[in-house]
Amino acid sequence: MRVLVVEDDPLIGDAVRRGLTGGGFAADLVGTTDAARSALHAETFDLVICDIGLPKEDGLQLVRGLRKQGAAVPILMLTARDGLADRVDALDIGADDYLTKPFQIPELLARARALIRRSKAVASSELTLGLLRLELAHQRATAAGQVLELTHREWSILECLMLSAGRIVSKDRLMSAISGWDEEITPNAIEVYVSRLRNKIGDVAQVRAVRGMGYRIDEPEHRGGC
Amino acid sequence: MNPSTEAVAEAAPSIRGRLLVLLLLPAIGILSLGTLTDYLTSAAPFRDAYDQALLDSALAIADHVGSDADGNPLLTLPPEAVSLLRTDKYDSIYFKVTTRAGRYVAGDRDLPDLAQHSAATSRGDARYRDEPIRLVSFTPQDGAGPVTITVGETLRKRDRARATILSTSLAVDLGEFGVVLAMILLGVRIAMNPLRDVEAQLEKRSPRDLSALSLAAVPVEIQSVVRTLNRLFATVRATSEAQRRFIESAAHQLRTPLTGICAQLELMSNEERDSARQQRLLAVLDAARRLARTTQQLLTLARSDEAAHLNWERLAVDLPRLVEAAVMERIAAADIAGIDLGAQLEPATVQGVQWLLAEALGNLVNNAIAYTPRGGVVTVHCGRKEGMPYLRVTDTGVGIPPAELERVTERFFRASNTRGSGSGLGLAIVHEVAQLHHARMSIDAGPGGQGTSIEILFPAPASVLPGAAAPNA
Repeated sequence: MRVLVVEDDPLIGDAVRRGLTGGGFAADLVGTTDAARSALHAETFDLVICDIGLPKEDGLQLVRGLRKQGAAVPILMLTARDGLADRVDALDIGADDYLTKPFQIPELLARARALIRRSKAVASSELTLGLLRLELAHQRATAAGQVLELTHREWSILECLMLSAGRIVSKDRLMSAISGWDEEITPNAIEVYVSRLRNKIGDVAQVRAVRGMGYRIDEPEHRGGC
Repeated sequence: MNPSTEAVAEAAPSIRGRLLVLLLLPAIGILSLGTLTDYLTSAAPFRDAYDQALLDSALAIADHVGSDADGNPLLTLPPEAVSLLRTDKYDSIYFKVTTRAGRYVAGDRDLPDLAQHSAATSRGDARYRDEPIRLVSFTPQDGAGPVTITVGETLRKRDRARATILSTSLAVDLGEFGVVLAMILLGVRIAMNPLRDVEAQLEKRSPRDLSALSLAAVPVEIQSVVRTLNRLFATVRATSEAQRRFIESAAHQLRTPLTGICAQLELMSNEERDSARQQRLLAVLDAARRLARTTQQLLTLARSDEAAHLNWERLAVDLPRLVEAAVMERIAAADIAGIDLGAQLEPATVQGVQWLLAEALGNLVNNAIAYTPRGGVVTVHCGRKEGMPYLRVTDTGVGIPPAELERVTERFFRASNTRGSGSGLGLAIVHEVAQLHHARMSIDAGPGGQGTSIEILFPAPASVLPGAAAPNA
């Protein structure tokens, strides 16, 4: 996995690059949008991590330009929390996610993995989380190479959770993912499906309930790994 | 306001009082003068009329003065006529006929004489039988003979008439005075209205609102005062804005290196194999993170001040989404701290500054996580009660000592039972942001009397909208 980091502050840039390297990514660091453009022109990256506040030209300009040219590479913006509308702007102009400073490296890695997972799913129609693998075209799920026997609804829930791995997926969203035109699904039913799903997945991945909000799927080992 | 300026304000001159005194005193003077003139001018015609009646009697008597054989004057009036002449409803009537030389001819002998003038008639006052009387005398110039007829009457009728005139004119003038008084009071009141408006405008402002007062409705007399006030507002605004900008840019400048330092320390502590050194690195990392958080909080406070001064635009903020974001952002930290972080979401919307609300809620959740022991429960609630949207964070943590509840919203105050990290700015931020949204912040014990429950109760949507829309509210 190749990541381009666009960050002008040497200390942050270096930490991000090291953190990514430690997390199993190959990371290139540039300090300006111009350098970023030539890097992206010369090589292919799986993810761009871009600071908004850059000298000369800000990160939003870079993102706007990339999206205008039709580049599909996922982009994670680094923003400052100061009430300026840059978070909203970032998503509006085509960034895929944002992380506010100061951030923690594990969080950065989780976001990076989630973004790459999603874009790879689109490209290869495969979703992976550790040893859990979903082949979207065939609706086939494997855990450590073993095929999981899932009902249609269990599959839909797992797919929905996997698309946002590491993030909370609300019960509402799970409900709308499995309910057809004519059927009513209750929140209790979701709990039943999730509990069955947990049994089938075993300890390959962890599906955790977040009280009052929904569920989230994680790799068991990278939780608390910092 | 300190006691001495209060005292000055008590004794301060009142424009209203002055106006009343300056208008009322002359009005009273003029009206009293009017009453007096009325009385005096009406007294003379009355007196003349009654005198004329007396003179008529004298003329009637004169018609009956003849002469005896010796040529001496003689009253030929029959006794019935005399008694008729003397009859009056109120007064006693007296008369006397004398020769021009003063010799008594007829009537009341001891009736005083009037000093004789060359004129045919004369009038005057005298006393007779212990009573003041009015006298009229008539000396016919023609054939009636050389006599003087003096007719007098007591003053009862005249006194009655005078009393009637006086009381009537007094009643009329008192009525006029009442009307004038009412007009003056009303006039002064109306004239003071623009002052009152300015006062009201000042009173209903938030003490943090430093925007200029509108000069449109200000009377010319105090325009310069209001202008000076506006200049003062502008100066204070500029000063506080400079201070705020300083804090803001300082926070901005601090944040970037702090982010780098934290990230580097995090990596170094992960890579460090020597456990003693790793502990030291983690301690430094903890301090650096605290510094980063305080920096962020200072920035939030500066921004919230700005939002209060400049009336930032309020947009509809969906509370369940706000809570979701706050929980998601902190679920990892809660996991590490061994705390069950959850939410209870009911639909609710407030008009507000999204970013500041997120910061306030984030601080509440951070506090709850920080002050709740491992195995505890932190729940973020949102919804509406009686139409009023609320955000509430409950925890099963150490709680806040009741005696310190009042002080926890002060900047840099920290409860005595807290340990570890914390800037003391978290609740101050929550309080500021709540105020900014006209919301009430309340702190209670958590569920089952354990831990803490902090609630931000927003006004019902309809009542917050006009306030947010008014430019000077």
